[in-house]
Amino acid sequence: MNARNLSARLASVNPVSILLYGLIAWFVIAFLIYPNLNIYGEIFFKDGKFTLEAAEKLFSSERAMRSLYNSFILAFSLVITVNVVGITLVLISEYFDIKGAKFLRLGYFTTLIYSGVVLVSGYKFVYGEEGFMTKLLVQWFPSFNTTWFHGYWAVLFVMTFACTSNHFLFLSNAIRKIDFQTVEAARNMGASTWYILRRVVLPVLKPTIYALTILTFLTGLAATSAPLILGGKEFQTITPMILTFSKSMTSRDLAALLALILGVATLVLLTVMIRFERKGNFMSVSKVKSELVKQKIRSKFGNIAAHILAYGLFVLYIVPVVLIIIFSFTDAASISTATLNLNSFTLDNYIQVFSSMSAFKPYLVSILYAAAASVIVVALALAASRIVHKYKNKWALALEYALLIPWILPSTLIAIGLIVTFNTPKLMIGNTVLVGTIWMLLIAYVIIHIPFTLRMVKASFFSLDSNLEDAARNLGAKPFYTFRKVLLPIILPSTLAVLALNFNGILADYDVTVFLYHPLYQPLGIVIKNSTDAQALADTKALTLVYSVILMIMSSVTLYFVYGRNSRS
Amino acid sequence: MITFQNVDIKFGEFHAVKNLNLHIREGEFFTFLGPSGCGKTTTLRSLVGFIMPTSGQILLKDADITRLPIEKREIGMVFQSYALFPTMNVYENIAFGLRVKKFSKAEVDQKVKDIARKVDLKDDQLFKKVSELSGGQQQRVAIARALVLKPSILVLDEPLSNLDAKLRVQLRNELKQLQKKFGITTIYVTHDQEEALTLSDRIGVFNHGVLEQVGTPLEVYNQSQTEFVCNFIGDINRIDPRMVENSRLNDVVQPGNIAYIRNEKVSLLPLQGIDTVELKGKIADREFYGLYSKYVLEIAGGGRLKTIEIESRQVQHEVGDDVDIYLPVRDILQYPLKEGEA
Repeated sequence: MNARNLSARLASVNPVSILLYGLIAWFVIAFLIYPNLNIYGEIFFKDGKFTLEAAEKLFSSERAMRSLYNSFILAFSLVITVNVVGITLVLISEYFDIKGAKFLRLGYFTTLIYSGVVLVSGYKFVYGEEGFMTKLLVQWFPSFNTTWFHGYWAVLFVMTFACTSNHFLFLSNAIRKIDFQTVEAARNMGASTWYILRRVVLPVLKPTIYALTILTFLTGLAATSAPLILGGKEFQTITPMILTFSKSMTSRDLAALLALILGVATLVLLTVMIRFERKGNFMSVSKVKSELVKQKIRSKFGNIAAHILAYGLFVLYIVPVVLIIIFSFTDAASISTATLNLNSFTLDNYIQVFSSMSAFKPYLVSILYAAAASVIVVALALAASRIVHKYKNKWALALEYALLIPWILPSTLIAIGLIVTFNTPKLMIGNTVLVGTIWMLLIAYVIIHIPFTLRMVKASFFSLDSNLEDAARNLGAKPFYTFRKVLLPIILPSTLAVLALNFNGILADYDVTVFLYHPLYQPLGIVIKNSTDAQALADTKALTLVYSVILMIMSSVTLYFVYGRNSRS
Repeated sequence: MITFQNVDIKFGEFHAVKNLNLHIREGEFFTFLGPSGCGKTTTLRSLVGFIMPTSGQILLKDADITRLPIEKREIGMVFQSYALFPTMNVYENIAFGLRVKKFSKAEVDQKVKDIARKVDLKDDQLFKKVSELSGGQQQRVAIARALVLKPSILVLDEPLSNLDAKLRVQLRNELKQLQKKFGITTIYVTHDQEEALTLSDRIGVFNHGVLEQVGTPLEVYNQSQTEFVCNFIGDINRIDPRMVENSRLNDVVQPGNIAYIRNEKVSLLPLQGIDTVELKGKIADREFYGLYSKYVLEIAGGGRLKTIEIESRQVQHEVGDDVDIYLPVRDILQYPLKEGEA
């Protein structure tokens, strides 16, 4: 580069850009790279010397080993149950001609509007010792064991239904893309309904099913709220154990090692998943694709059985939602005894949430966290996407990879990394301690949501016509003006959609929150989980039901605006 | 008006534009023509300021603009996709550059309406979304947006390439009329030889980063200076004289050269008063198009020639007929044989 070129380049450097790039680089190093490297130091080094003490502790701790074993058992079991239920749901709603499929789909969709701790607490409210369904079963079968709903089977039951959301989203999409002419061709050659399903349809869905299987396995491995709330003492898995160990300074290395094991398992499985994705994508060779027509089940018995199964599953999905909504309108006595009568209906719970500051506080805390984190993460993703889109060099690539780090790490590992790193003053964050402050949770929310946000925002940037930016520059606009007036308005709708999804996800988060929340500012997830404890007051339970209903409404509205309207257009 | 002096543009190891020397006159409609990857768009983008030449100078009215920022060059550009801002309506698109330059609201309004009238955009169209306009209207908005800033040069980067054939011809005519109306120096980039021939005052033909020929459409077509140019523009026959023994062609074409002749110059009737080379041949194929017929001729001794005969010339031959073929000497182009062919 000659001197003139260099001086021209230097003259075009904007100090605001340098500040922005510096800030992003600091964030990446301080919060994405350093804590995740530091965790190795915490586990394998004591007083500057290499040690395997944590590993020895782990192997000699029966509880810890048991939790590892339980996690893998849960993950393997979930792979089977979730695939069976998930594939069944998708076939019922998308492939077979089942009467009322549109209505049934609404029921199967309910896990999209309440998940995590809200769903688990809802199931406990319905099926738990004092639950409405348990009481109903006792009425029908007086010798029925009221404490049936805990341990491995309860966790498996709840997580099976909770984890079908991904099947519903991705497998439905895959089945809709099947070229119907392949089905017709198979029928033309005399194949039966089940033969076509087994040999033509399911093989095309195989890559998606593999990917979903791995996602399910990972979810099972890192399960938090279900084993915590329903597992009881006899069925504890890794994450609840990490949580327990992380609370004491003496066992923090053990928590870190368990989190690392979780991280390694995640990394290995994600690598396997990427290989499956690369290998197993079937390219349709159809010249003209035709839309899938729903298949009639020709056997009368098969048809009736399929309808019974479809409506049975619908009831299982819808009952907790309906009961949560109904009981949110009843008084504390009715909630604690799980009985319904006309006199017990009241709006007091709702009035209390919106009129009492102490009742509204968890909402306020969660809303503030969710709003702040989702705005910060979108701003960060916008800036990073702009850099990646504009420069396309090795530094931009390094930035992109660094920002995708949280994608391959379980949130528990990230949380533990932050705890073990920022519990002492660190120079790179101004020599302060972050653990125990309100900022820790905000930073964690931002970190965890970066990969998804970056991928979505980057996709919008890369779909832009590059000539638009050139056109604006040609008309005299400076880079920031071009970004503000031309590019941002185009990518704003998709950016706002990502912001809304992040906001929704953070609002009732429990899995990260439980590690990092400030005791004086308890977010919704923590309050909802606490209300499932046996000693929780009936009034607290009543408020939790209201929180849950409002969360469901907010999720529904968000999903409608993000997916519903888009899919219609 | 515009001068490229020894301009070289490299992208790493790739040499996109090689030692470009070119002068474009004021008010001229000049076309950069060539296949994909030949350096025409790179040259245009270096003029506008999106790309900085590796070496050499670009002069505009004798002033060196090689390193001048884009916004100070006063060059209006129309993009291949038109690059109309989708979130703004027609009015806002045209006003964009005026607002960047901080014109008052009244001035913006007056200038937008003036230019809209000149490019035949109606007032009610100004407040439409750009997606609601037809291809032709979008082109006019893109031109209006570029011209409203009163640039000294208008550059157009393949603005018709994404359109269907009929609309292309229609918009090509509109473009020519607008250029005449404004009288602005215009540089047009295309890979379509028909567009280049019909629109341009002069054409520059690029190949592998080298400007191979500059000339009027007639010059470039009839007196192609390189084998690439004659091949790239129009349909042409290639004849290796060594294949045609005992013919005057071997005297007309210098030894070591290859001969070319345009299809329409090959005649199946004697040409009065014109020096011609005569060949013997046979009709190998005939396609009837109504106004004319296309013939494929097999030359005695080897090789094939294509020709077009207008029906009004009353030439009627069927496949298999023996024919005399007349090649006007003045229309025979010749270029040195490439290495390996000699």
